Amino acid sequence: MRGEREIGGLRCSQVLAQLSEYFDGELGDLERGRLEAHVRECDHCARFGGVFAAAVRALHTKLRASALAPAVRERLRARLELPPRRT
Amino acid sequence: MSVSDRELLQRSASGDRAAFDAFVERHGADVFRYARWVAGDETDAEDVLQQTFLDAWNAAGDARAENGARAWLVSIARRNALRVSSRRGAAREQSLEELGELAGFGDPEHTPERVARAAEQRGLVEDALAALEPEEREILVLRDVEELPGASVAELLGLSLAAQKSRLHRARLRLAAQLRRHCGLEQQA
Repeated sequence: MRGEREIGGLRCSQVLAQLSEYFDGELGDLERGRLEAHVRECDHCARFGGVFAAAVRALHTKLRASALAPAVRERLRARLELPPRRT
Repeated sequence: MSVSDRELLQRSASGDRAAFDAFVERHGADVFRYARWVAGDETDAEDVLQQTFLDAWNAAGDARAENGARAWLVSIARRNALRVSSRRGAAREQSLEELGELAGFGDPEHTPERVARAAEQRGLVEDALAALEPEEREILVLRDVEELPGASVAELLGLSLAAQKSRLHRARLRLAAQLRRHCGLEQQA
């Protein structure tokens, strides 16, 4: 991998492989500590960790709309008026 | 204090339409958003939305709903979405290192600030998501938009927890790669 380094006993490719688990809080204390120690000394991983987090954050904030559009809601209501429950 | 999903469904199972309306109001937007990205377009998503709540009305007494109404609803929506979606492609298998480089690892010009700025542009995040394979879109919407727990998503998709984590990580890297690509296009414009 471009710019691959080994810092704190961890290679950049190993940091890359663990990024999701890190951001989801799923790494154990030991693994998290090793990853954070690597990132403190590695500008590639620090920058890329930020890029990765920004992409996931953007997805959440841009797509998480608060409500159905009124027209969609009305058509849904109309459709749900129709059926008696199947028995 | 708001009424729990469990209580709304119990009342719905007894034929209480007002309770079911409240349940629809609470979860309709989530189901529509999920369906929009899995079914492929808004017309299909509306069909999925309507059929999902019809199915939910008919199955309101389903015991599985008591273990988490959102995950139960999404499982119904998924069944309906798969029926209408025309294509379920598999992403070409790339190594994590390859995906990392496409997403900007080692590129000093590609910074978190640049991603955040680009994401502010209208439609860019949606375009990046739309460019992914259906199974990548689905797991990103379930985990990062709807924020369902990994164990629920694994069960829903029929994956082990480890396979769910792996698919999520690759999908996030592919999203980051698409956003980087769009950042480049925006810069050239």
